[in-house]
Amino acid sequence: MANQDFSQNEKPEANYWRSFEELYADQKTLEAKKHEFLEGVTNDFNIEKNLSGLSRRKFIALLSASAALAGAGCSDYRDKGEVIPYNVKPEEVIPGKPNYYASTCNGCAQNCGIVIKTREGRPIKIDGNTDHPINKGKICAKGEASILNLYDPSRLQFPLIKQGGIFEKASWGSIDSQIKNSLDSASGSEIAVVTHRFNSPTTKKMFEEFQIKYPSAKIYAYDVYHNEIKNSAWKKCYGGDVFPLIKWDEANIILSLEGDFLGVEGNVVEQMRLFSDRKNVNDVKSFNRLYVAEGNMSLTGMNADYRFRLRPDNQLAFVLSLLNELITKKNISSPAVDANIKNIIPSFSLKEFASQNGIEYKKLSHLVDDLAANRGSAIVYGGRALNEQTQIAVNLLNEVLGNTKTYRPDAVDISKSVYSSNEELKNLVSSMNSGKVKAVIHFDTNPVYHLPQDLQYEKALGKVPMVITLSESENETAYASNYVLPISHTLESWGDYNVRTGVYSLQQPVISPIYNTRQKEAILLNLISDNPQNYSEKLYLDYLKKSWQENIFPKLSSPFTFEKFWIGALHDGVITTKEEAPQSPRSGVSKFPSLWEELGMGLISHKKVAGFTVMITESYRLGDGRYANNGWLQELPHPVSKVTWDNYAAISERSAKVLGVKNNDLVEIKVGNKKVSIPVILQPGVADNFISVETGFGRKNSGVVAQEAGVNVQPFYALSENSNSPWMVTNASVSKVSGSYKVISTQDHQNFDDALTKNAHLKRDIIQEGTVLQYLKDPDFLHKNKEHHLPNMYDDFAYNDVKWGMSIDLNRCLGCGNCIAACNVENNIPVVGKDQVEKGREMMWLRIDRYYSGTPEEPKPAVQPMLCQHCDQAPCENVCPVAATQHSPDGLNQMVYNRCVGTRYCSNNCPFKVRRFNFYNFRDHFANGYYLQDSVSLMHNPEVTVRSRGVMEKCSFCIQRIMEAREEAIRVNQPLKGSDVRTACQNSCGTEAIKFGNIKDPKEEFYQYRNHKLGYYVLEELNVKPNVTYLAKLRNTHSEEV
Amino acid sequence: MNIDYSQEMPVIESRISLAEIDRLISRPLDEKPDKKFLIALSITLTLLLVGVISISYLFLYGTGVWGLNQPVGWAFDITNFVFWVGIGHAGTLISAVLYLLRQKWRTGIARFAEAMTIFAVMCAGIFPIIHTGRPWLAGYLTPYPNQHGLWVNFTSPLVWDVFAVSTYFTVSLVFWYVGLIPDFGLLRDRTASKLKKTIYSIFSLGWRNSHRNWMHYEKAYMLLAGFATPLVLSVHTIVSFDFAVSIIPGWHSTIFPPYFVAGAIFSGFAMVVTVLIFVRKVFDLQHIITLNHLDKMNKIILVTGSMVGYAYAMEFFIAWYSGNPFEQFIFINRAFGPYAWAYWIMVSCNVFIPQLFWFKKVRRTIPVMLIIVILVNVGMWFERFVITVTSLHRDFLPSSWGYFVPSVFDLGTLIGSFGLFFTLVLLFTKTLPVVAISEIKAVAEGAQPSHNGGKH
Repeated sequence: MANQDFSQNEKPEANYWRSFEELYADQKTLEAKKHEFLEGVTNDFNIEKNLSGLSRRKFIALLSASAALAGAGCSDYRDKGEVIPYNVKPEEVIPGKPNYYASTCNGCAQNCGIVIKTREGRPIKIDGNTDHPINKGKICAKGEASILNLYDPSRLQFPLIKQGGIFEKASWGSIDSQIKNSLDSASGSEIAVVTHRFNSPTTKKMFEEFQIKYPSAKIYAYDVYHNEIKNSAWKKCYGGDVFPLIKWDEANIILSLEGDFLGVEGNVVEQMRLFSDRKNVNDVKSFNRLYVAEGNMSLTGMNADYRFRLRPDNQLAFVLSLLNELITKKNISSPAVDANIKNIIPSFSLKEFASQNGIEYKKLSHLVDDLAANRGSAIVYGGRALNEQTQIAVNLLNEVLGNTKTYRPDAVDISKSVYSSNEELKNLVSSMNSGKVKAVIHFDTNPVYHLPQDLQYEKALGKVPMVITLSESENETAYASNYVLPISHTLESWGDYNVRTGVYSLQQPVISPIYNTRQKEAILLNLISDNPQNYSEKLYLDYLKKSWQENIFPKLSSPFTFEKFWIGALHDGVITTKEEAPQSPRSGVSKFPSLWEELGMGLISHKKVAGFTVMITESYRLGDGRYANNGWLQELPHPVSKVTWDNYAAISERSAKVLGVKNNDLVEIKVGNKKVSIPVILQPGVADNFISVETGFGRKNSGVVAQEAGVNVQPFYALSENSNSPWMVTNASVSKVSGSYKVISTQDHQNFDDALTKNAHLKRDIIQEGTVLQYLKDPDFLHKNKEHHLPNMYDDFAYNDVKWGMSIDLNRCLGCGNCIAACNVENNIPVVGKDQVEKGREMMWLRIDRYYSGTPEEPKPAVQPMLCQHCDQAPCENVCPVAATQHSPDGLNQMVYNRCVGTRYCSNNCPFKVRRFNFYNFRDHFANGYYLQDSVSLMHNPEVTVRSRGVMEKCSFCIQRIMEAREEAIRVNQPLKGSDVRTACQNSCGTEAIKFGNIKDPKEEFYQYRNHKLGYYVLEELNVKPNVTYLAKLRNTHSEEV
Repeated sequence: MNIDYSQEMPVIESRISLAEIDRLISRPLDEKPDKKFLIALSITLTLLLVGVISISYLFLYGTGVWGLNQPVGWAFDITNFVFWVGIGHAGTLISAVLYLLRQKWRTGIARFAEAMTIFAVMCAGIFPIIHTGRPWLAGYLTPYPNQHGLWVNFTSPLVWDVFAVSTYFTVSLVFWYVGLIPDFGLLRDRTASKLKKTIYSIFSLGWRNSHRNWMHYEKAYMLLAGFATPLVLSVHTIVSFDFAVSIIPGWHSTIFPPYFVAGAIFSGFAMVVTVLIFVRKVFDLQHIITLNHLDKMNKIILVTGSMVGYAYAMEFFIAWYSGNPFEQFIFINRAFGPYAWAYWIMVSCNVFIPQLFWFKKVRRTIPVMLIIVILVNVGMWFERFVITVTSLHRDFLPSSWGYFVPSVFDLGTLIGSFGLFFTLVLLFTKTLPVVAISEIKAVAEGAQPSHNGGKH
């Protein structure tokens, strides 16, 4: 500063100065001012040069380094998981973007087409394949939830060999050679392969080759539930092989006799769709009318316009009485009816039948009138459990009415396997007992649990030197085997299916086997290959491709090469060929009279049947028991009784009184030497002296989830004699035994209890309903005489963009629960277990409420899916102290999990009680963290937060799907449309009862459902302004009164 | 009986000297705890331990250890909270409202009642925190500036609760402490122990019994009494808003604020009487906490009990008169539904049994009185239970109806809260003068100048 020449400098501008240096424009300072940072702070910072001694920077550097070291080195950091980017990125995987693959479900013999959503190589959701001609984009609850089976921690993870009564881990190589050596030395003694029905042409080919290699091999096929009685009755009447498909959508009048075609019989997914096609609220005149006569209240019965309570053993008398009424009184003549039949049937008077069975004659006469008036456009459907005589009588009734027009001529269901007869099974057991069987291979079957007890199959297995069970998870049969071979899940396997004339679908793996498993076909194929040690995962794929190239590809006369065709077929998941249905000639109309004689129809008396009849039915949720270890399905409420985790004996109130039992009391059912104690549930609408029980429960040795869930009633499954139903036992002795067993349902049974709660759902306008006639007379009937002026305290929020809403058509909703299963998978809903459901803590975001009105004998059920109503003026929002639940500008009621402290005030204040609270960390709480295991976390939808303990949650209208659609709309620069989003429940609804869309867009299809004349809001008078509209159910009865 | 109504009844019976008052009241502080005290303390500590274990389980596993469910999201937790807040009200009423109304008889019981207020609010304060699903985040309930820009929701009554209860606790504590200052001064002067002297010195804030001291003290005490008085009404009014602001039938009711305040005073007085019956006996304070005190409090119990009874009747009337089917259902369901047992316990204990207090004999007979006031406490606990649970368990949609059954942890937490309360009460009796010595001296006979020379 000293050598500065003040005069040479320009006079500093009238400016503020911070120091003398600045004032006198010291060079160094001026230079320094040009740089933002001091020397050494910039990019060219040099550690050698700048950090001499213990400078501030060095001190900080050392401090932070040692802190980091201490932090990293000394902490036992829990999250050891690593996030590693792809070294070589697979071409088709984009992180964050799902991939979809078409495949085929193998959960039951219907083999629906599915589309599997995968994220980063993990399957996370199964939906129906919209291109599939049969299920058309829909699947059932079992299919939805079956993804859990893939990740089930109870799956077998490696081959097992039993040595000295203990199962030991083994390698595939040693097992292959042991089995092969043994089979090779079979030489004449039988090799039995026990399988379920299969529809795969390639599996069939594989079995044929297996039999060529081992000529002593025999293939046995069984299923607990099948259509064999129906088919054999059809064969007797008309000569065709299988009962034809029905054009449900063309039937104005449907009479279902003990037939649960909307629940468990046949291709339910397709039947639901066809049935509900005639429940279009925009064309009310074309509503079909469903009559159901059944013993237990089934899902189909719940949806009946008229329902008759009838024991299944009285069905034959019912059909004959109907025939009488139609032929004698209505004078309907048919070549199928000869004088003999005409002579016999007048002894069956419908009036007498009605009075004997306590059925209102007026309702029956409606049925007769309808059947007579709708000849050719009605169908009488006999359930598969009815005996052959009844089936033949039903066929005759349809023949007389001309309803044969409602059978489909163009296609039939096909099976590639033939069920073993009772004789064959008995012979198998006796050869096993006599040591003539060298090996038994259980091809993904569980005959120890399934086959009739009288066969003593398990005991016979003990006499077989080599018992091989191919199974995904442990089961009763596996425990009785020497070799347990783990098989791959459907989503890990290749396959093909031909379930219907001209419909071929493909199954492809979407994940490589998680465990050391092989697909079941490949195991057998490997055994007959020249060198089993050379197994490769492509073994069955190559075989399948070859089979398609040789057998199916030529049928198509495709212009493409096979490789191209194959890729296309895999992409679509299904191909259709033009094939002629092997339809029966139906020349058999004249066969009826002779059949009549043969079956001794004339000898059937009209007397009332006495004693208890017990019927076993397929579980809505567990099938024949194969889904018993699936927590989601165990917890899915029964569509009628809402019972979870158990089966029960459904009996009528009157029978319960006679037996002196109430809900949860144990009764002992005794048939011959078989005894089962089972809890009772008083089910409205059940016929007297009749008990209906679901099978599939009471599994042993079958994983943690299935343990102690329900009672095994499989022993009542009988070897049916004389074409009787194997699922029905008459003259059972039923008595009360001491003790009780708590059966848990998600809904109380209080509706008939007292005057206080009776018909509350109607009094409160929760369920609003009318009749078709009422609606046709006055479409506005629902909203007449109702005050609608409900003032607001606050101004309405102006929703400028999209505003989401839902409409649920109660005419279409059957109450099946598929939507619940889909929602569970989509939104990572935990399984809480029976003890928690008992406490009322189930976590399902969507529930289906079921209400009864009427009497316990003649109940009128109503169902209503209930989910968050996303109210505009949501009562939950203003009471949350921390503002964790908020309204979005697109009309959603949102939960902010991170902010939620869990006061539960929102839930208390929710009039719909749709909020769900995490009372525990349920994944941890259920069965000691069963679903907290590593494999299960792979299943979670990564777009949906997995909620922890203490947090409230509820339906989000699948916000993750909305956001995905919104991103896409932004990407393509188009306005977001309501139809761009399909919620999980909507997507899964087999009847399209759920519609979702933009409330504000009048151009959308959704708009008409939102503003339909049948539309109403639940609890409208609260003025919370729900965004879920319900379309009132119209019962298609003969009067205007409900 | 020939009572001379021209004369005020003496607040303190028999002419005890001022020195005797000092000695009598500070005696428990001077003596070592005896065996009886230790036994009593071990019992209350055991109860407290039960509560600690219950709450530890709750924190470890989650709200699921309680019996709560869908639809009953609140049960014992909020019942206990409202119950304990209510218990507190008597103390404030006695110490503040009666002070402003120049009710001299309050002096004998004010200190104790005020202490009970503080302990009761401490018990109550536990529940809003532990009832949350994630108690470690309960701080979210307070409005504090944060980088997320998150704020509490001021439309929620739970936020109002936070303010109401914390204000109530603070004001009560300060009020109580200010009242204690002259006594601390006295104790400091009396004690010979050095440690005690230090402690008392600190808390007495240099009290010298000067005129100026007294002048400031009286002014401050009066102001604080004025502060505390509206809280008697506001706290339980706001607590009642937790229910009244919702839309659930049985909760959504405009009668709740006065009804809750009456109920709070009712239960609070019952609790004060329950405890005082023992305290006056154990510490030989029958002359200071006299039968007249108990008699007067029993009259208040009778009045407030009848008010509560009126509210019960009015709720039914309004339910019928409103024509609202949901409202009508919930009340019929209360009286005759699955929880009828709880409802009738409540009505019997709160409305019918206190009617016995119309009889003077009953009001002045200790064993009978004790039974009645305990039943009143039971009844008032059930009142909150009935309001909370019966309204929730059957609300709008019959499909979601349920039934609440308490778990052992529910009961354990309830027991624990009593353990905490009585532990604090016991410790209080041994550490601080249970009666305001300075105040009682002012109403002792001969303390005030009178026309008849101190004679009646």
